[in-house]
Amino acid sequence: MKKGIAIASSIVCILVGLLFGLIFLLIINPAESISLGFTPLILAGLSSAFNPDWISAGSNLMKLGQEIANAMPIIMTGLSVAFAFKMGLFNIGAAGQYTLGAFGALYFALILKCPWYVCLLAAAAFGAFWGMLPGLLKAYLNINEVISCIMLNWIGLYGVNTIIYGNGNSKMFNSSQSKAYQVGTVNPDALIPSKIFGLDMFEIFKYRATTIGIFFAIIIAIVILIVLNKTTFGYELKACGFNKDAAKYAGINDKRNIILSMLISGALAGFGAGLFYLSGTVQWNPLDSTALPAAGFDGITVALLGLLNPIGCIFSGLFISHISVGGTMMPQSIFPSEISQIITGLIVYLCAFTPIIQEKLTKFIGAHKKTQQNANKEEK
Amino acid sequence: MSAGLLILIKFTLLSGIVLMYVALGGCFSEHSGVINIALEGVMVIGALFGILTLCTLPKNLPGFLIVTISILVAMISGMIYSSLLAFASINLKADQTIGGTALNILATAIALVVVKHYNSTISPDAQSPKLNFDNSLFIFNVGPFTLNVFIILGIILLIVSHFVLYKTRFGLHLRACGEHPQAADSVGINVYKMRWAGVLISGALAGIGGMAYIVPSVQDWNFEVGVGGMGFLALAVMIFGKWNPGYIFLGSLFFAVFKSLANIYDSTFLANFHLTKEIYSMMPFIASLIVLMFTSKNSKAPKAEGIPYDKGMR
Amino acid sequence: MADYVIEMLGISKYFPGIKANDNITLQLKRGEIHALLGENGAGKSTLMSILFGLYQPDEGVIKKDGQIVKINNPNDANDLRIGMVHQHFKLVECYSVLDNIILGVEPNVAGILHKQEAREKIMELSKKYGLQIDPDAIVENITVGMQQRVEILKMLYRDNDVLIFDEPTAVLTPQEITELMQIMKKLAAEGKSILFISHKLAEIMTVADRCSVLRKGKYIGTVDIKDTTAEGLSTMMVGRKVNLKLDKKKATPGEIILDVDNLTVSSNSSKKEAVKNVSFNVRRGEIVCIAGIEGNGQAELIQAITGLTKQKSGKIVLCDKDISHESIRYRSEHGMSHIPEDRHKHGLVLDYDLAQNIVLQRYREPEFSKFGFIKFDAVKKYAEKLIKKFDVRCGQGTDTIVRSMSGGNQQKAIIAREIDKNPELLITVQPTRGLDVGAIEYIHKAIIEQRDAGKAVLLVSLELDEVLNLSDRILVMYEGELVGEFKSSDVTTETLGLYMTGAKKDNITKEVTK
Repeated sequence: MKKGIAIASSIVCILVGLLFGLIFLLIINPAESISLGFTPLILAGLSSAFNPDWISAGSNLMKLGQEIANAMPIIMTGLSVAFAFKMGLFNIGAAGQYTLGAFGALYFALILKCPWYVCLLAAAAFGAFWGMLPGLLKAYLNINEVISCIMLNWIGLYGVNTIIYGNGNSKMFNSSQSKAYQVGTVNPDALIPSKIFGLDMFEIFKYRATTIGIFFAIIIAIVILIVLNKTTFGYELKACGFNKDAAKYAGINDKRNIILSMLISGALAGFGAGLFYLSGTVQWNPLDSTALPAAGFDGITVALLGLLNPIGCIFSGLFISHISVGGTMMPQSIFPSEISQIITGLIVYLCAFTPIIQEKLTKFIGAHKKTQQNANKEEK
Repeated sequence: MSAGLLILIKFTLLSGIVLMYVALGGCFSEHSGVINIALEGVMVIGALFGILTLCTLPKNLPGFLIVTISILVAMISGMIYSSLLAFASINLKADQTIGGTALNILATAIALVVVKHYNSTISPDAQSPKLNFDNSLFIFNVGPFTLNVFIILGIILLIVSHFVLYKTRFGLHLRACGEHPQAADSVGINVYKMRWAGVLISGALAGIGGMAYIVPSVQDWNFEVGVGGMGFLALAVMIFGKWNPGYIFLGSLFFAVFKSLANIYDSTFLANFHLTKEIYSMMPFIASLIVLMFTSKNSKAPKAEGIPYDKGMR
Repeated sequence: MADYVIEMLGISKYFPGIKANDNITLQLKRGEIHALLGENGAGKSTLMSILFGLYQPDEGVIKKDGQIVKINNPNDANDLRIGMVHQHFKLVECYSVLDNIILGVEPNVAGILHKQEAREKIMELSKKYGLQIDPDAIVENITVGMQQRVEILKMLYRDNDVLIFDEPTAVLTPQEITELMQIMKKLAAEGKSILFISHKLAEIMTVADRCSVLRKGKYIGTVDIKDTTAEGLSTMMVGRKVNLKLDKKKATPGEIILDVDNLTVSSNSSKKEAVKNVSFNVRRGEIVCIAGIEGNGQAELIQAITGLTKQKSGKIVLCDKDISHESIRYRSEHGMSHIPEDRHKHGLVLDYDLAQNIVLQRYREPEFSKFGFIKFDAVKKYAEKLIKKFDVRCGQGTDTIVRSMSGGNQQKAIIAREIDKNPELLITVQPTRGLDVGAIEYIHKAIIEQRDAGKAVLLVSLELDEVLNLSDRILVMYEGELVGEFKSSDVTTETLGLYMTGAKKDNITKEVTK
């Protein structure tokens, strides 16, 4: 019952978000808003999956593959945000930890020429380090993690770009493309494989970035779920999140838990960056120091929409990725793809008052049941 | 060297005044009890509509009117946008940090959609996220200094802010709502109303701040950039300035020096260090972290900030 | 016809699940001091909140000077000249005394403050009623007594003639209480009508003219104080005869369990030392009570003993082990139990279910976990056992979310948890705060049982009745020092009051450890 209402409230958030997206489309171009706007936006990869032209070309699942590939990093940043949230910390720094994770993955892949699994671990380690900093600041100096995370996001971005670009002399920087080198051309071993147990993701989706990384994301989500709900560590963490004074009274070391949970949270975000940048299609652009990677903030959307539940994050991550791909499938000359960002932004806004939506839903269902009961009574 | 100093002063003034506007905005909001982490997004929205107005107003209007109207539009759009935060956090008692974060995400998306749509209405094939505008009306020279209207307006608003917060009935009520809303309520002050007022004023100031960030220094702006973290830096300035307009003024100048380093690094003695622009861009953020380390122990933050006020809970 | 200034007739107020006020009638005569008596949760605060416009009654009418009035908010109450001193003062701590008094009714011209005329009026009132204040002092720096005078001046500044005092003595020293009583009498003599909310019978007997009694949301009756006794009032309040004295055997103290030596602790709120060079011990089979006015270092002392804060210097020995630098968990695992003062802040994780709260300190023990995984079955079984043993009432058994339980049952759950740990030392701070008589009796009995079972009990209480009834030995704490030691059998409230306010002071030397 309670879970059902929680899920229903998420769905309400999505529906209202989509409604506002539709309104934007209507304002921009009422004539084409449904056929060229809303339909491709919400169908996204599904529209090509059943498109006869794409089927005959054999690439009908490509867009779905892209959705999965884009979902990997944001499921991870979503888990990162959700995990910290259980401890009562708002990890708005997932973007910075993600940036550091990307750097770790690229450095180990391009410079140290390590195989993919080492690069992935490096990504997690770099993210963990960047997540640990606000944890330390919070634990020992009582600095609000939101503010320190925001500052560390920008410091991380500028720092990473400085190293990768290095005034054009860095070994990671390909000046002919003015981007970081492509992992696949420099060190193919660093690419995450697409085959596992005879299952070949590339064969299915024909999209190069769709790797077995999605399975890692799912497995990690399950592990996080178990840690939170079954272990003493999870018990401590949630106790700190609910009531840190009582946790301290109970002998739980809250400082240690703050640092540890931020470290794990950072590792999750960093790992997400590893999954994305070792998938073969994307290249880091160190010359663009003006905007933080969106995956960090998408993580907030994913976590809230997923009700801070690790399994919920998988679904919400897939959904956010779905909508983003949908945004790019609208004709860009009419509808800018950022419409999908407006929808996700609105969803976060609505998620901020999930408790109220849940309360209303509970009341609504309660009233509904009562009238039904009354109706039943009258029948008797 | 003196030329270097001169441009340092120029850029310090340019960004210092922006930080001041936005930090003052944050100051009003937090004194009323609402943490406005959405300042970054409000700046984007203010800049967006202010500049759009600047672009669309007929060029033959008197310069004074163009300047006034576009600043007014920036201000009002900032207020409207921040009312989303006010509604969520005051009326619906939503988590202020999450609500603010949502508005930050939303602002950039809205700006891009609006700018791209605007550009495509002018020339159907353009999907550029950039707006071009003429900023000559906002700038004037006094001796060797280049000043702009935002500096003048900012100084006036600084004095007004101080007066309003500490010398008026409104200010006394506003600060009471951020410190002890139950006490304010018990003497008949409408806490919800005061908090709305605080957030709307912060929206107005941040809206102007967004425009002040972009208009005086460049002639075109890529909205993919947003406002590059200025709203967040303003939060640090506000904390550094102990939620007090006078200190906030000093704090903005202090941070603006760091912020300016990235603008002047290649044309002054700093060029000798052969550091990248990114290193200098990092400076204000590092500075704010360090400032936070030293100020967090005895913070002067309004005691009830961030806590939704619920009449029923006393 | 008597001259009633306020009449509340047939007032009812429902909250989800409870009737907070059920057909209550209250009539206040002009110029009288009218006490409103009832236990915690009897509905006094709700009734006063209705009169003050914070809540709307679901039924009933309010009359002011015989006219039916509607009070929608505190502004309306103020317009009707009704003022209230809240139990938790409603003062903006970083404002000056003057700003607090004028807040909401500031003299101003076009919104700009004009404080001078306000200052003159305040000083005049201050002189007239003997309410000493410094208008320019910042509220967070002044004493609780002065804060209360500020609250009273707030009402007088607004020319209120109906003054509500909500539990005004809870935070005061006995001497300050006497002073307040005099002020109240003076106000009444000047024609102000006073509603005095309290559950302390002695104070009501001293100051009030009449008294109305509420019990469980219902109106029981109104009596003239000169026609009644404290026993009569208490029977009305509780609904049965209450045994004001506890039955307990004489204590038989054994060996020393807790030994505190020259303990110094920094204050939570300021840079000063809250506990200065305190030494004492607690023996097996006795209840030692630290008495004192709130804020004299008791909180810091307990926090240091339990490990919640680090002491500056000094030694703490538990069962011959030096625990001065051990963790909270170590102390908890080595024979220390702690029933904390604030059960919501420290004692419980309100969003956890009952079972999870029962093992709050013990989830790591092999009984309840293995390889870092919690054995939820074992936890549940254990919790069920305690629920039965300690009669904790909860809707859904071990799965009940603690937030949804009543205060008394929450406290029972904590006591069950702490006692069943089978400690050597039981520390309990204000164990009955905010509870009704039934729960109080239960908890007092449980604590005495622990003593009789040979445990050492350290009690901190602000309620002198509780101090005298429960403890065997009393240590009085004043400004961070122990200033007096008494056997509870041969000391009176008055003597304790003198020590608690620093008027008297002994040199306490700890008996030498054998």
